[in-house]
Amino acid sequence: MQVNTQEIIISFTLNGEKVVKNVQPNWTLLDLLRKKLRVRSPKEGCLRGDCGACTVLLNGKPVNSCLVLAPKVDGATIVTVEGLKGDPVFEALKETFAEKGAVQCGFCTPGMILSAKYLLDRKKNPTQEEIEEAIEGNLCRCTGYIKIVEAIKEAAKKLI
Amino acid sequence: MKLIPPFTYYKPETIEEAISLLDEFKEAKVIAGGTDLIPLIRDGKYTPQKMVDISFIDELNFVREEGGYIKIGAATTHSDILNSKILNEKTNVLVQAVKNLGSPQIRNLGTIGGNLCNASPAADTAPPLLVLEAELLIQGSKGERRIPVKDFFLGPGKTILKRNEILREIHIPSEVGKMKGVFLKLGRREAHTLSIVCTAVLLKADTEFEDIRIALGAVAPIPIRAKETESYLRGKEVTEKKIDEGTEIVKKEVKPITDVRGTKEYRTEMSKVFVKRAINKALKGEVECK
Amino acid sequence: MTETREVTAERGPFFFKRELGKEEGEYKLVGREIERPDAFSKIMGLTKFTADRLTEDVCFGKIVRSKYPHALIKRVIVDEALQIKGVLAVITAKDVPGENQIGYAIPDQPLLADKKVRYIGEPIAIVVAENEYAAEKGVEAVKVEYDPLPAVFDPLEALKPEAPKVHEKGNVALTTIIRKGDVEKGFKEADVVVENIYYTQRQEHAYLEPEAAIAYPEGDGIRVVLCTQSPFLVREFVSRVTGYSQSKIKVIGAPAGGAFGGKDDMGPMVASKAALAAIITKKPVAIILDKEETFVASNKRHPAIIRYKSGATKDGKLTAVEIEIIYETGAYANRSPFVLWRATVHSAGPYVVPNAKVDGKSVYTNKVFSGSFRGFGDPQIHFAAEQQMDELAEKLGIDPVEFRLRNVLKEGTRTVCNQLLEESVGMEETLKKVAEAANWKKKREELKKYRKGSKVRGIGVACAYHGISTSRGVPDWSAAAVLLNEDGTITYRSTITRLGQGSLIGHAKIVAEILDIPLEWVHIEEPDTSASPNARPTHGSRGLMTGGTAAADAALKLRRTLIKLASELLNCDEKNVKLENGKAFCALDPSNKIEFSELAKETYQRGYQPAYYGFYFVPRRYFDPETGLGVAYCVYTYIANIVEVEVDKETGEVKVLEAYTGADVGKAIDPGLIEGQMQGALAQGIGYAISEEVAFNDGKIINPNYTDYIIPTVKDVPRKVKVVIIEKPYSSTAFGAKGVAEAALIPTAPAIANAVAHATGVRVRNLPLTKEKVCFKLKEGKK
Repeated sequence: MQVNTQEIIISFTLNGEKVVKNVQPNWTLLDLLRKKLRVRSPKEGCLRGDCGACTVLLNGKPVNSCLVLAPKVDGATIVTVEGLKGDPVFEALKETFAEKGAVQCGFCTPGMILSAKYLLDRKKNPTQEEIEEAIEGNLCRCTGYIKIVEAIKEAAKKLI
Repeated sequence: MKLIPPFTYYKPETIEEAISLLDEFKEAKVIAGGTDLIPLIRDGKYTPQKMVDISFIDELNFVREEGGYIKIGAATTHSDILNSKILNEKTNVLVQAVKNLGSPQIRNLGTIGGNLCNASPAADTAPPLLVLEAELLIQGSKGERRIPVKDFFLGPGKTILKRNEILREIHIPSEVGKMKGVFLKLGRREAHTLSIVCTAVLLKADTEFEDIRIALGAVAPIPIRAKETESYLRGKEVTEKKIDEGTEIVKKEVKPITDVRGTKEYRTEMSKVFVKRAINKALKGEVECK
Repeated sequence: MTETREVTAERGPFFFKRELGKEEGEYKLVGREIERPDAFSKIMGLTKFTADRLTEDVCFGKIVRSKYPHALIKRVIVDEALQIKGVLAVITAKDVPGENQIGYAIPDQPLLADKKVRYIGEPIAIVVAENEYAAEKGVEAVKVEYDPLPAVFDPLEALKPEAPKVHEKGNVALTTIIRKGDVEKGFKEADVVVENIYYTQRQEHAYLEPEAAIAYPEGDGIRVVLCTQSPFLVREFVSRVTGYSQSKIKVIGAPAGGAFGGKDDMGPMVASKAALAAIITKKPVAIILDKEETFVASNKRHPAIIRYKSGATKDGKLTAVEIEIIYETGAYANRSPFVLWRATVHSAGPYVVPNAKVDGKSVYTNKVFSGSFRGFGDPQIHFAAEQQMDELAEKLGIDPVEFRLRNVLKEGTRTVCNQLLEESVGMEETLKKVAEAANWKKKREELKKYRKGSKVRGIGVACAYHGISTSRGVPDWSAAAVLLNEDGTITYRSTITRLGQGSLIGHAKIVAEILDIPLEWVHIEEPDTSASPNARPTHGSRGLMTGGTAAADAALKLRRTLIKLASELLNCDEKNVKLENGKAFCALDPSNKIEFSELAKETYQRGYQPAYYGFYFVPRRYFDPETGLGVAYCVYTYIANIVEVEVDKETGEVKVLEAYTGADVGKAIDPGLIEGQMQGALAQGIGYAISEEVAFNDGKIINPNYTDYIIPTVKDVPRKVKVVIIEKPYSSTAFGAKGVAEAALIPTAPAIANAVAHATGVRVRNLPLTKEKVCFKLKEGKK
């Protein structure tokens, strides 16, 4: 059992690289990434799990990093868009998001892409419903989602 | 909104360790997924001193069938419930509830135990467990106890859990799988939203209601069973008229409040509408699952 | 895609065709959808929003806010806060070196409340600390002693003589008026008259990125980086508050994670506080609001109460309107004068109305101030005007589209302000094309079949118009700078900001088109008041229209220089010099050519001017505030929405199944970006129509988060959305472009309300059409 009153040493894999870091228990994973590790693609939006701008993949699954305490990440694998270069699903999404005009202000985009990637990793040919379900936790105030859904559909086509 | 204040963090790997921490520190609070607790802390409604993170305890994370029960570890995430073969096949009313709970990101973090222990009147997993007549296995330092889920909630944010106890397992009797279950939810939008009213209905019916169980959330200080409606319908012929008459009773059984999500009048009206819809859907056998 | 007449003015499409020697079809960038150059950096998370620029040395400012809706401040005690480790300063009104005043139009709003607070959440002090935790503790430790006053939360209450006074002068911030023709006579001529009261709610912008500013003391001046819609306006306010001369203040406009008008109003307020904190502590200071603060203390869309009476003849011609408008401005006037005037001059909708009597009032209450929000007063008034149109049509037994077509503004007609519309009036064509796309006539009949059971369907239409840029006689201009570098690349500068809308991409396309070079050669610099010309604000849908025309002016000047130079180098008459694909050549002998990079080098070598300042002065308008008549805006964008809805009669749920949205945009510089704006506006309009409302309890906002302030998710927008772009070019601007971002939102809510009325026979005149409201309204029955 670890009993910690102050800092805790945790180690985890971030975008394929091993990270060992002293963390305060009250840091969130979002704090850790943005403020301590300078990984800026997860954005600080609502800080209560409502907007999805801080989405990262924790052990492969999308989560709101604003709701995850940093110590919980010990032993975990974290992926953000910074670590997806060369990943075929990500590359397809990157292309189609740009082509289809699915990016406006860009604040929701990295999180949106991670949710979409998680979907396309599991479903080769997702239905409209499955796409909607995959990104229902990522709010976008600019696009009306229409071009985002189109981009995800298009990426799925490209991957077949 | 507040910053998360400093606290001491404990990461037990067994239930015993967790219990002994709770025994030792009066001010300790259990955290699992954190999806409810972190916003509460940020709202200043709760200031943690010591946090016991139970999400690393393997023995709290499982779904399995044994001894006539489907057993779910309290720290099982909503996603794992959604993807559980056993639950999808045997009793998917719970799966239906979890499908529209929060967002994928929330479902990947949040746990069924957390949803129950947070004791929100609108907790979506409660009505299904109420109609399934699930039992909760509670672990304390002096041993364990089993209680029916209906006795678990005391009021908004309050349960019968003692400070040094944790919710360990949820036990769903296997035989209820033979009944048809439907969960329906009314929110203020299509996804990622809290219930204004939610309901779970479990029934066995052919030409008459052989058995029927109805539960509702967000319409009383705690999730409730609509017992009077159930007993009115039980044994009655399955007709539109009877269903309408029966579900009218629901309106008297609910005790909703008015808040930013809806007025008590609307919640009362919708309780009937949603129970009726759930019954009709169950009768038609239109049950969606993964 | 038609032009109705030859336009001879200076910059319209014909001018550009002639100047560039090309037909529109030959344009490589203008009119074509391109991939956004900033997409990859946003996807990769490399775009630096304000908070992404935080470094370890930056201190934090947090704001002490009023806990009372209306109270006198007796004392602010800061001693205890100053004892906290890490707290560097507590700044109150008395520490403001310049003017403690940030009222935009009327000087009624202090930066930090000194004598009195007027809404819950009003800033009273700034605690500056080395870290966020110390700043938060400091905020908790500041003691404010209040003397509570009676408060007023309802605008109608506020208008009563016995109401508590929010400001000494009384609760009416300002009034507006239109007197045109003879209203009494107009109603006498009418065969049908409809009169109703409409209510609209407070809407929050709900951009994902909270307001943020970082201020850095630099030499004897200060640099402020923030998400803003107007760097120069921020500079003006920072100067006013700090007492620094404008030349010592450098404001950088960082990309914004959404703005929608909110950051236009909030930018100066947040920046002034950060600058003040940095000057007083001599350290870099960041002020980053959290989401709850954004909800509690940022400006909102004005709630409105509109009494609307309109009349028409049996052959379907409007005869008169009589309108009373009350816009609740909350604690401070902020942009209200402009918002209310805009609503007033658009109050008749995009129709010819010979007789009009309009009275507007902007009313103070003890709630958070109202201000700029996409549409700027027009969504509220059109919600009323467009339901009136449907009711008149119904009474007359005329199809709603047909009824509108009989009254729409056309070239040669006059607006409610008596403004003669001379050109670029695409309302008729827009409505016709949208109706055609939606298959209106057939659908309107067909959907009557969906009247059984609990779910019914209907289809509704609404039109709108929206004047571009600032209103009435207020002078307006924009500016831009184009620098030709020695390697042939272009450095482009403007202070139109990056809100996600892509105006600057439009500018770059215009520059590249004019010089006929690849878009990648145009580098867009970050908006910076110390280096970029003052393009004026990114609001009023003016970013592309005015800023882009200034860009065109600069690019054309450079183009003329390059043609002259090439003529000299190629020994070819100027009129035969062509610029094409990054080369200059002689039309008589295309092999006689020179590369752009070579041309650039020679520009410097031969002493030609390599950089140009572009300027655009918006055509003069004239306006008489005594009658409300005159030329209110130089040009208008026209838009129509048709939506198909399904209404669940038992729950009151309104679901938008399909939407058709069309606009006359003048000239589409980038149809893809326009489509993006129109789809986004539709979603925001659906939120406004159905679920969004800032809720209060005794002046306190009780839904200050996305948990309870309900904006649309992907599942709340229609799957089928068709965008129709109509081009009626405007002769004053680059290629004929107008603006579209705001206009697109305006007709959505009334179109939905009209569709609900079609589906159910029940009219809801009170926004938003929440499930609960519609449910009870349906129970109440037809009224």
